[in-house]
Amino acid sequence: MIIKSVASTSGYGSGKAFRLCRGNSAGEHVMSIDEAFEAERERLKALSVDNDIFAAHLEILDDPMLSDAIEEHLAGGENPLEAVASACDDIVSMFSSIDDEYLRARVDDVKDVCRNLESRLAGNSSGSLDIPEGSVVVADEIFPSDTSRMDLSKVSAFVTRKGSVTSHVCIIATSRGIPVALGVDIDMIADGDNLIVNGNTGEVAVNPTEDELSKLAESRIVKDRESEIIQEPVEYQGHIVNVYGNAGCVEDVAKAMAAGADGIGLFRTEFVFMRSEEFPTEEEQFEIYRDAALLCGDKPLTIRTMDIGGDKKMPYLSIEPEDNPFLGVRGVRLCLANPGLFKIQLRAILRAGSFGNVRILVPMVTTSAEIDRVRALIEECKAELSAEGKEFGSSIPLGAMVETPASVFAGRTIAEKVEFFSIGTNDLTQYIMAADRGNSGVSILYNPKDIAVKNAVEVVVSNAHEAGIKAGICGEAASDPEYAEFLLEAGIDSLSLSDPRMIPVIKRLIRK
Amino acid sequence: MTTEKVVVTAPNGLHARPVGEIVRIAKSFPDSAVTITSGEKTVKATSMLSILSLGLKKGTEVEIRAEGGDEAGAVNAIVNLIQSVTE
Repeated sequence: MIIKSVASTSGYGSGKAFRLCRGNSAGEHVMSIDEAFEAERERLKALSVDNDIFAAHLEILDDPMLSDAIEEHLAGGENPLEAVASACDDIVSMFSSIDDEYLRARVDDVKDVCRNLESRLAGNSSGSLDIPEGSVVVADEIFPSDTSRMDLSKVSAFVTRKGSVTSHVCIIATSRGIPVALGVDIDMIADGDNLIVNGNTGEVAVNPTEDELSKLAESRIVKDRESEIIQEPVEYQGHIVNVYGNAGCVEDVAKAMAAGADGIGLFRTEFVFMRSEEFPTEEEQFEIYRDAALLCGDKPLTIRTMDIGGDKKMPYLSIEPEDNPFLGVRGVRLCLANPGLFKIQLRAILRAGSFGNVRILVPMVTTSAEIDRVRALIEECKAELSAEGKEFGSSIPLGAMVETPASVFAGRTIAEKVEFFSIGTNDLTQYIMAADRGNSGVSILYNPKDIAVKNAVEVVVSNAHEAGIKAGICGEAASDPEYAEFLLEAGIDSLSLSDPRMIPVIKRLIRK
Repeated sequence: MTTEKVVVTAPNGLHARPVGEIVRIAKSFPDSAVTITSGEKTVKATSMLSILSLGLKKGTEVEIRAEGGDEAGAVNAIVNLIQSVTE
């Protein structure tokens, strides 16, 4: 049987279905509902001492609304796992329909609290998930806290009912070459079924027949032929268009370079900050950035400074709860609000600069004054490093991410202060279209191909060229061949792709 | 049982902060069961999420009801709080 997904990310994966939480453990829970509450309460109490997010989770756990809703479903004959899931759905749908910023912002918190209760009920501690080698993980929805508990090297694909291609799981999965099929009727899949996920066509084969297998194999061979690697840079109408890779960790850098990337156009540093409870030291950061720079050789490694806030929160940064996190203290705003922490990262990047061709990319720029302040901090770091007798890259280019409407319209002013532009289409689309990229209710509006976003991209490229600097793009949209053609027409200087397997495909397209 | 009706006068309605206060007050009367009724819906005054889900706007009349322990004290404290919210 072949099921069609609503959306998917590219790639090919097969293996046995591993149903997360609800499916495989329903009915055979080890903890009672009260024990699960108690265990979660203890865990959250310990975590909430100096962390507002966990404190908020604790309040939700202890809010009678949740326990009452669960009781109601238990009384209706559901097992504890189902009751928690149903209560969660009830609350989430109710909150989404109410015009209250605070409640809408609590939706994810409620989901997270319920999911942790479910995993207690299913007998999983909050420790790592024991996934057999070569599994296709099947779930209603996958959260960042799920992926952080998985050994992703054992996952060959993800199949989910909910979620969008720009969700966190898709970005993480894509960077590891793991396909994700979204919007799949997962009730058709049982634990242990043989699954083949073709992310390129969006098809999920469940226990495929011989006939279905040979058809799938054929389409894969065609795909392989298309992905022959091109090492050298390619030209479009006489000028070089670099094809870079996006990377979320050092391993991604290696994968992109192996796929023929002309460098790394976006090295996200969030993983450096998310993996520990403490802010990583300069030495720890330096080693990571140096390794990445060494892997790139003389090709550029574009390190984006910490892009925290909004949807990504860190245990050691107490961020005040905001009504609109996406319009709040995030990206460079957070960096400038915490110059002490920011300087640790800048020092580490500057030092890594003596090992390769490193560039610094500043996220979420809104005004040229922000660039001035970043430059001033970089100069401070350089002076300190010189005084300490430490080696560093002295001429590291500084670039601005263009992802706010302000940075489009103030493009000329900002362009004069930086050495390059990188357009982040994920956020730019969200801000231009005023459509939350995670909200499926406005997914029609969240469209990087909309004329408004395309016009913005053209403005950015011409602003850059008038100021004599280069403009690249590093959003998901760059991997879409049709969109890539538009970008080339617009005069883009580089495309940075999340999926390393698209690098040869796009290079071939440019050369045509 | 003690009940009292009060009209929300806060210009922006009752949002997270004042509702948090109501919950704190309700919890400080552990011997009384305190509820808030708006229209057809009655919720526990110890549930921040439930109270917020009532979406209490300026001009809405709510009924505070308490039963057991210092029920008059509980109703009074919450009514006073709702009347004093100005933000």
